[in-house]
Amino acid sequence: MHIIIPIKQVPETSNVKMDEETGTMRRDGVESIINPLDLYAIESGITLKEKYGGKVTVISMGPASAEKALREAVAMGCDHGILISGKEFAGSDTWATSKVLAAAIEKIGDFDLILAGERATDGDTGQVGPGIASFLDLPLSTYTSKLIEVQVDSITVERLIEEGYEVLKLPRPALLTVVKEISFPRLPTLRGKKRAKSLDLPVWSAAQLDLPVAQLGLKGSPTRVVKIDRPRVTRGGTIVKTGDQDSIVAAVEQLVEFLRVKELV
Amino acid sequence: MQYNPVTKKIVAELAEIVGAKNVLIDPEKLEGYSHDETPIDQYAHLPEAVVFPGSAAEIARIVKLANRELIPITPRGAGSGLSGGAIPVYGGIALSVEKMDRVLEIDDDNMMMVLEPGVITNSVNEEIEEKGLFFAGYPMSVLTCYIGGNIAENAGGGKAVKYGVTGRYIMGLELVTPTGEIVELGGKLLKDVSGYDLKQLIIGSEGTLGIITKAIIKLLPRPTEQVDLLVLFKDVKTAIKAVPRIMTDGRIIPTGIEFMDKLSVKTSCQYLNEKLPYQQAGAMLLIEVDGNKAEEVEADAETIGELCMENGAIEVYIADNHTTRERVWSVRRNIAEAFMVVSPHQSLEDIVVPIAAIPDLMPEIERISDQYDLQIPCYGHAGDGNLHATLVKNPAHTLEQWYQIEEKALHELYLAVKKLGGTISGEHGIGYKRRPYLESTLDPVALDLMRKIKKAFDPNNIMNPGKIFELE
Repeated sequence: MHIIIPIKQVPETSNVKMDEETGTMRRDGVESIINPLDLYAIESGITLKEKYGGKVTVISMGPASAEKALREAVAMGCDHGILISGKEFAGSDTWATSKVLAAAIEKIGDFDLILAGERATDGDTGQVGPGIASFLDLPLSTYTSKLIEVQVDSITVERLIEEGYEVLKLPRPALLTVVKEISFPRLPTLRGKKRAKSLDLPVWSAAQLDLPVAQLGLKGSPTRVVKIDRPRVTRGGTIVKTGDQDSIVAAVEQLVEFLRVKELV
Repeated sequence: MQYNPVTKKIVAELAEIVGAKNVLIDPEKLEGYSHDETPIDQYAHLPEAVVFPGSAAEIARIVKLANRELIPITPRGAGSGLSGGAIPVYGGIALSVEKMDRVLEIDDDNMMMVLEPGVITNSVNEEIEEKGLFFAGYPMSVLTCYIGGNIAENAGGGKAVKYGVTGRYIMGLELVTPTGEIVELGGKLLKDVSGYDLKQLIIGSEGTLGIITKAIIKLLPRPTEQVDLLVLFKDVKTAIKAVPRIMTDGRIIPTGIEFMDKLSVKTSCQYLNEKLPYQQAGAMLLIEVDGNKAEEVEADAETIGELCMENGAIEVYIADNHTTRERVWSVRRNIAEAFMVVSPHQSLEDIVVPIAAIPDLMPEIERISDQYDLQIPCYGHAGDGNLHATLVKNPAHTLEQWYQIEEKALHELYLAVKKLGGTISGEHGIGYKRRPYLESTLDPVALDLMRKIKKAFDPNNIMNPGKIFELE
């Protein structure tokens, strides 16, 4: 079984500071890590490999420094990594990114499954996984929470939907975007790190992918950032002060009434 | 010792000093100031009043009042202590420094910082992170504890192998003495031999020699690179044996070497819902190396990892970014809390022996565990020879039996530690909890000198009485 996992390197945002004036992130000194949600895809891929045999290839489109994320994935247990990098890719939106990653996967060729994180913690769009599926014309399951069964030519999964869960049987090859519930990411090992350090990591540019430069990067991206706005908190909340028996009873009634109006009780 | 009660008149006088809103006498609210992190039903004592002063001058007035009226004062930081040091065992006044929480100065030119005692230790580093500086204190309660408490207890923690304990970084103190004088000790000086080193005497005096109202701390250039190794061993013995070898054979002083046995890791992982592969391992080491050059730190980590493999490790995991490092450290930091959730009836110890003696300590702990039919999970700062052996009540025993067993087992444990050249507390302090045991493990001449010092500082014995030793 050959599993391909597209990953993204993102800024480590758990302890990031915001610039109060511009509303943007302060990037100096911020570490770059594998998109945390991609770790669940990586873990699922390695687990499948351990169970059914085969190999896992991680790919990433990004600057040369994204090599670190690929090597980290290899240290966790992935077999190969390919970096897609070049200035022609700079400024790509989700459409252009999906197109490039789809082309890379096509070039790799023989694969059984593509696993992707549900979304990246920096862009937060969740569009690239489904984008790749549509460019490659693959069956797609988003928000996949469980791999139920892998058959010779299909895979049965459970996915999260608003009302609960849904079970899908997809013909292989397919693309799954996964959520946290699916697995528990392992830590990279020393042996893995050493292997990752010495592993030859090919770098593909637009030329290798046979993609016209006009369809790449900013030029190839239909998305335009027109304005960046900071969200405002619109829910103020209400504090009801109580002191004696009567005011407590009144407050409870007020709460019950509020919940009734909202049809919550 | 006979003390006088905190009367209404005294409450009024306290309110006059600190303001009425900074005096608590409501019994429900006093409860929160009756204990620290030691088992509540065993050690807690209610104060009669809690005060929240805002300055050294206010504290001096409170202390003078306490001397005049013979009322005990128990100074209190964040209440995260593990020796009962902040417990008002004779009632009286609990004095919390929580409102004195300002950073007074960041002195770039001297690489020092001046703090009030109620500053949370972790926030010290948040303040100076962007300047490329750091404070090397790292007790496991770093997210909640106060710098004042760290100094009073001379807190150790997870980075002491390389950086030493809190006391190394305290350059100056302002203190309200037990008789109500305000005194400055030390200063922004890297060398100072003018007279006795009273500052060092105060550090680790557990609030018995005065109340720290200001501290000058020394900062270091912040290491930019950190790598943590989580190493799985098949059993405790193999893991512990590897500890001294990391330093002697590797010729590397790591930032910290933390040890966790299977039960400790399992309990913490379940508490955190973390799924580390603890089932395969009988014990784990968490080893951190730091520095400013990525290649060097990586190479050190690799050397240590390989050394561990040569010494019987099953697997070496590497955490080299903030997310994964926080993930492994969180398991270590949460062990004590996780055990408290499992059973409040336990005795968390912090025995310390020379590092070369650690392998000899483990069979002793095993022997005591067998003899008294109780579990003694073990974790802690193995690289410092400082281990948190934790005696946990056997569910088959009654509470009464447990208290008897606890006392006997502790006594035996402490004697074993002494025989190996160690002492009964490496970082938590003697406080109230270990007071009954100090006498039998300390040099009698040393103990006599300590009593004389206490009497010289605190003739009326009003400053945190009932801690460390009995006066007579």
